[in-house]
Amino acid sequence: MSALSIVAGAPGRYISWGVLQISVTNATIIAVMIVLFILALVVPFPTHDDEQSKPEGHSR
Amino acid sequence: MTTPASQLNPETVDPKNWTNKLRGRIEGLVPPGQALPARQPIYVASWIYVFGVLTLASLVVVVASGCVLSMGGVAWWHVSSLGHFFNSVHLWSVELTFGFMVVHLWGKFWMAAWRGKRALTWITGILLFGISIGTSFTGFLSQSNFDSQWIGGQAKDGLNSIGAGAFFNVLNPGQMLMWHIVLLPLAVGALTLVHIILVRRHGVVPPLDAELEG
Repeated sequence: MSALSIVAGAPGRYISWGVLQISVTNATIIAVMIVLFILALVVPFPTHDDEQSKPEGHSR
Repeated sequence: MTTPASQLNPETVDPKNWTNKLRGRIEGLVPPGQALPARQPIYVASWIYVFGVLTLASLVVVVASGCVLSMGGVAWWHVSSLGHFFNSVHLWSVELTFGFMVVHLWGKFWMAAWRGKRALTWITGILLFGISIGTSFTGFLSQSNFDSQWIGGQAKDGLNSIGAGAFFNVLNPGQMLMWHIVLLPLAVGALTLVHIILVRRHGVVPPLDAELEG
């Protein structure tokens, strides 16, 4: 039996909560996206100091 | 200094000429200098504003890898390591496109990006999200393997229960492939163009607190 067929035959792991059911993989991906979203809000964006002092805008 | 052609030839400024009308409409789509601006308002200096262009960049990879796959054919990736590579590039660029698109959607939702006459920008974005899902689903149906057969078998029941089966057949792989590589990409491409033009026309939406202060 090839490695590919072993992977294809393996049952997925699921998280069940009442009527809700989600695979561990999908739950992990959603968690990573939420972390990415939060990081995008809080991590400072690199800017040039001289440009930041101008009130009308900055170059990108 | 050169003189614009429109000042030299009276035919190019004739308002009854449809070519002139069309040129005027195209030139008026975005304010002068806003098609590809080199400067942005200071509030754009945030990572949350990067996800729109990340979505666009990964979409370019999706289309490019899809064009390579179309040369080899739908079964190419089963018999060629190169075809398998480009199939994987196509899949993972789609995964990134959706990941970036959803974070972009979250960011725009929580900053109420439809403010300031930007409703159509929001609507075209939501339409793009929906049509992109349909495009990816028809891609799953075009894998030419048992997975695509199983997905088609499951999808037909749901789609037929709402009457959508009258317009397309998910059990027809030829039809689904054509939807995946012609009709739906055309819709995604056209809507993306409209979405970007609208963003450039109305500018990037300011944060909620910036508008309250202004």
